[in-house]
Amino acid sequence: MRRSSLPFLIGIAVVAFLGIAATRLLGNQYYYFAAYVVLQYVVLATGWNILGGYTGYVNFGVAGFFAIGAYTSVVLIKLLGAPMPVLILAGGIVAGLVGLGTGYLTLRLKGVFFSIATLALAIVLQTFVTNWDYVGGSRGVYTIRPREVPFFDNYVEYLFIVMLLLALGAVAAAWLIERSWIGRGLAAIRDDEQAAEAMGVPTLRLKLFATTVSGFMMGIAGAPYPYYVTYLDPASGFSLAYAVNSVAMPLIGGTTSAVLLGTLQQVATVTISSALNLLIVGVNLVMFVTVAPEGILGLAREFAEGRPGRRAAIAAMILGILAGDTGIAITGAAGAGLLQLLGIAIPLLTIVGGGLALVRPGIGGLMMLASAAATAAVFGLDVLTAIPIAIGAIGGALAYLARYRITASAGYEALRRA
Amino acid sequence: MEFNQIIEALVACAGGDCGNLSSILDLLANAVVAGLLLGGFYAAVTIGVTISFGMLDIVNIAHPAFIMLGSFVAYFVNQTFGVDPVVIGVVFTPAFFLLGMAIYRIYYNSFEKRGQESIRGLAFFFGVLFIGEVALILTFGVDYRSVDAAYIGTSVNLGVVGLPMRLFVPFVVSMTMMVLLELFLGRTFFGRAIKAVSQDRLALQLMAANPARIKELAFGLSIATASVAGSLLIIIGPVEPSIGRDYIGRVFAICVLGGMSSVPGTVIAAIIIGIAESFTATFYGPSWSPAIAFGLLLLVLAVRPAGLLGR
Repeated sequence: MRRSSLPFLIGIAVVAFLGIAATRLLGNQYYYFAAYVVLQYVVLATGWNILGGYTGYVNFGVAGFFAIGAYTSVVLIKLLGAPMPVLILAGGIVAGLVGLGTGYLTLRLKGVFFSIATLALAIVLQTFVTNWDYVGGSRGVYTIRPREVPFFDNYVEYLFIVMLLLALGAVAAAWLIERSWIGRGLAAIRDDEQAAEAMGVPTLRLKLFATTVSGFMMGIAGAPYPYYVTYLDPASGFSLAYAVNSVAMPLIGGTTSAVLLGTLQQVATVTISSALNLLIVGVNLVMFVTVAPEGILGLAREFAEGRPGRRAAIAAMILGILAGDTGIAITGAAGAGLLQLLGIAIPLLTIVGGGLALVRPGIGGLMMLASAAATAAVFGLDVLTAIPIAIGAIGGALAYLARYRITASAGYEALRRA
Repeated sequence: MEFNQIIEALVACAGGDCGNLSSILDLLANAVVAGLLLGGFYAAVTIGVTISFGMLDIVNIAHPAFIMLGSFVAYFVNQTFGVDPVVIGVVFTPAFFLLGMAIYRIYYNSFEKRGQESIRGLAFFFGVLFIGEVALILTFGVDYRSVDAAYIGTSVNLGVVGLPMRLFVPFVVSMTMMVLLELFLGRTFFGRAIKAVSQDRLALQLMAANPARIKELAFGLSIATASVAGSLLIIIGPVEPSIGRDYIGRVFAICVLGGMSSVPGTVIAAIIIGIAESFTATFYGPSWSPAIAFGLLLLVLAVRPAGLLGR
């Protein structure tokens, strides 16, 4: 073990300790309930990142792998009443094998075929589960939690700790893989597969390894899920939200190592209605991959490097996205029909304006200012609406006032790239 | 209907009582016809992907979302003004064409120009897929919607085979669209230019044509087909925003099976999948049919990735 990994491992141990300590101190069940979801996404996104981030192969079937873990648990609970560690291991192994099989059939071709196959895999697995009466079919299945668990006051705390350990394990495993020769091989595949092959990197074997590990992690994320929800039906087990969140978090957080950063965004949206939540994630995903391909980390790095124009642009973009996200959460949840549509469309305008601030700051800034004004005009100015209005107006003003410096800095950027 | 029932009927027929067998044969004939008509419609759904994915190398996994958009445009206009859905689908193609061009413009500037189309381009379309679906859910809700037209619900009987008009009309419209597209791609300057982009981009540039411009128009064309396909989809049956997902696997399976960039290949592959699904629905139950396309997709990718008519 190299010296550099010591602080990392200590950090993992500290987080685990803090989590266990928290169950002794915090009484409110809701925190564990919400934290479980966030941690589950950490495991899913870490798993996705092993293939998507390190290797450059996009898996859209996250929901399928997650559901394999969940339904393997259902079967084992019904058949044997198996304990949690067995469920997790089994769910991971089955999902890993499915990943291996899909990869074996499609990874020798162009990467997109793998993506398409995984997308379709989720749908086909859902068809199987819907038709499989033993696991409840389309009606769903109830799982009764064990009445008592040792060391914990109740089952939700236990599930929280289980998921915390899984998340830390996944992050540690990903960290080790990234720094080993396997990680370098995967990175070589991502950058130029033919060159890697020519240099003697065993590309197919490495890709299959990554697919299997990735599937394994998504499977273990799903394994405790039946106990978490206690009622599992195909619609919730295969929800495409898993896929969009797991793809969005690494890409927004910066692909290579900042899965954890994506959780912040998850914390922010976990409490909003599911359709709006998906909309926010989808819009942010599109925004980031379009204008900020390096994700939040890339933006932070550029901000730290700090040419004045670039800084203003990045600040304006972040403010625009913040204002838009909070705007959707606040005005989108108010009212129905036309009012709701406006409540969503106006913040969307802010987000687009924020994205434009990076390249066309004049137009972007005016858009943000206009949508702040529109929010005030349509929804009135009160304590809640003041948040997106103020943030959006500051961002808009910033982009508009700094527009010449931003454009100059964008021109410099383009020159440097050329 | 199970296979052992068929066996039983065969045995009974050998024994002289062919009543059961003939009713099974009727069922079979109906399944074939329904599958043929369904497959014809699948061709309309897939052709946009054949153009974008097969010819332009743009992995537009959001295509089903545009089809859903087409369905809901047809629903809205039909319910408000009572216009025939097919007419709506055709009338709105220019709007979809412009939408497609705008999306390609974003895609080109953000990804293709920088050579990042693989991961981020996929993620972009994935996000677009979600935004489209959620936007439709927020606007129209999750209820099933359908359109009104005189021919929906009627059917013509040809001997033992029933020809439901709600499948037959989409089939005819779809086949007309295929013929027109094949003529356009093969006979016109522009169509040939699109094929040229898919074959050799550099050569096209050397001929002083701008590949990005041609791809922009071609992508607009591929999204324009979604307007027609969407109106056909809502004629066939009631529609809600998330059923678009069911078409992702199907559409790409057909596209790959048909050899990626061939219009006749797409039609043949669509009809194969349509008949396979119709058989599955008749003999095992409709809830199994989504598995068919995926099974065929995996099989094709594993055995013959070039597709049926591929080189």
